[in-house]
Amino acid sequence: MLQRLPDRHPDENLPEGAVVDGASLGRDVDEAYDFVVIGSGAAGAVAAHTLASAGYSVGILEEGPWVKTRDFGDDVSGAFQQLMRGSGLQVLKGRAYMPMIQGRCVGGSTVINSAIAWRIPEDVVDDWRENFGIGDALTMRDLEPHFSALERDLHVRSVDERVLGENNRLFIEHAQKMGIEATPMRRYDKGCDGTARCLTGCPRAAKQGMSVSYIPWALALGARIFTGCRAERVEIRGGRAVGVLGRAGRHAVRLRARRGVLVAASTVQTPNLLHRSGLRSRALGKHFQAHPGVALGGLMDRRVDMSFGATQGAESIHFRKTDRFKLETIAMPPELAVARIPGVGSELAGRMAQFGEVCVWVVQVRAEAEGTVREGWGGGDSVRFTLTENDIRATRKACGVLARLLFSAGAREVWPGIHGLPHVLRSVDDVKLIDEGPLDPRAYSFVATHLFGAARMGPDPRASVVGLEFATHEAEHLYVVDSSIFPTNLGVNPQHSIMALSRLAATRIASRAVRQAVA
Amino acid sequence: MSPRTLTRMEMAWALDAFEAIFPGPQGIGTMNVREYIQATFARIPLEPVIGLRLAIWIVALAPLFVLRRFRTLHGLTAEEREHVLVALAANPVYAVRQLVLALKAMAALLYAADPAVRARMFAPRAEALPLRKKTSVPPPPPSKEHGRAAKVA
Repeated sequence: MLQRLPDRHPDENLPEGAVVDGASLGRDVDEAYDFVVIGSGAAGAVAAHTLASAGYSVGILEEGPWVKTRDFGDDVSGAFQQLMRGSGLQVLKGRAYMPMIQGRCVGGSTVINSAIAWRIPEDVVDDWRENFGIGDALTMRDLEPHFSALERDLHVRSVDERVLGENNRLFIEHAQKMGIEATPMRRYDKGCDGTARCLTGCPRAAKQGMSVSYIPWALALGARIFTGCRAERVEIRGGRAVGVLGRAGRHAVRLRARRGVLVAASTVQTPNLLHRSGLRSRALGKHFQAHPGVALGGLMDRRVDMSFGATQGAESIHFRKTDRFKLETIAMPPELAVARIPGVGSELAGRMAQFGEVCVWVVQVRAEAEGTVREGWGGGDSVRFTLTENDIRATRKACGVLARLLFSAGAREVWPGIHGLPHVLRSVDDVKLIDEGPLDPRAYSFVATHLFGAARMGPDPRASVVGLEFATHEAEHLYVVDSSIFPTNLGVNPQHSIMALSRLAATRIASRAVRQAVA
Repeated sequence: MSPRTLTRMEMAWALDAFEAIFPGPQGIGTMNVREYIQATFARIPLEPVIGLRLAIWIVALAPLFVLRRFRTLHGLTAEEREHVLVALAANPVYAVRQLVLALKAMAALLYAADPAVRARMFAPRAEALPLRKKTSVPPPPPSKEHGRAAKVA
């Protein structure tokens, strides 16, 4: 049975005074907490909840607004404006320009992603231990109880057969027919009814994003969140973080931190915030990595109807280790999918009329390329990132696999979206054109969603920003707990690993604070 | 003048471009495109505003380069407009095709959000679809040469 959801969502009826809306602030703020957490996404929310659970007072700063479940619509343009950084129009700049999607609201990207739960692969942890000096500071054994707790709290489970939808079902069925390992996704799901609206905010709060889970739970334990409040810099005195200076409109928000500041502002914003705060590590802003994605559309021989089913409900990691890519499904809202449908005018209209028969499946590449994060023009964020030839080879092979899979599943047309190739492939024999396709990143339409690095963890202050105890090498009591500390990307969706590392970090920071208090 | 405000000429060109992408009696011309463009330009970051303005100029003046005719998109038939846009979308210059794609994406955000358009997109089609001849598709083997070696900093 699908779970019946409560009439009131968890982001309603919050404790009195627990939410300070920066947009309606009438005065400057100066308050003190044990810990201040910057960011309310996957990392920040979990850290705040863990510290509040340990009995500490916690102040949370969030740059974006709190958009409540009751206000989620299916208007993509409005959702981009309300929920995403730069209205969803940020780009990674390099040889090709690549849209970079980041949430900018309470809950961060967990509000606009598909809630996919993947434990960090063991080979990644081994790689970090052997090649990045992480040693025994971070082991699978350390992470295990945190993954388990998160899975309990957030109702992780495989997509229910009844809400799988045809886009996902066809992928699994035909991948398995072709000998490619494929399964329903495991997601943070408390009663998904297949509205296919994960990307614009779940209208039923079935998706367990941070704005309906750890943030309300932290507030119930006494934490306080300042929304619409941008962290300008961490205040560092005598080599120690003592607070955060933020701004909400015309008003200054100063949150003093008695025991520490935890930065969880995301891979792009964290390094720039640390730089504005005076950190000058040579590794700061370097080693940025991502999982660039490319979507392929298929016009099928049957009704698919992407308006029903889990937004992303099926996946394959068959090629992850050997070829560095993962395959997924995605039910794109029409407003986004139409831009990827070939043609304009009458040709486009003809295909749009058959949109109910369209499948969209995507490639997610574990790119080996590394980029840099800097502050850009006008105080914005600037990321430079160019894929390597190996990355494009992986992309090309993955696109070929997906195209064959689409034809196997009954596609009458496959839309590769690769410059230099026909914009419509009509038979599986045409897929060889993809196999021999261009190795220029500008020929592909990438989108980057999973971001890593740029404030890397490691034992050597010359090569890393954050030490093995999650504190920066340069300032005491200044911790980084988001994916900017990851030495590499993962090859799987990162939210679960980000949360587990953040929970582990916050648990260690809390117990160290107890020891220091006792001493 | 603010870079976020289109001139009357640019707005007319933008309307022509949008109507070339989604033409016809049920096309985007029936929607409030002018208001949508103004609202979008007012709220998105400046860099994309500049890119989209450039895209409007490229599309408007493209007949000069694509058709070798001294006129803007406005003076073309529907078929000629389509031809021009298809040519731009396949242009060998990366920036040109990306900017045109950005303009198409912007138009799609308005057009496909319309309930009537959505209803038409998702309506079951009456006619039976021709079934493709089934083909056996062997899976490609995992590559050996791309096997992940341990990443070194």
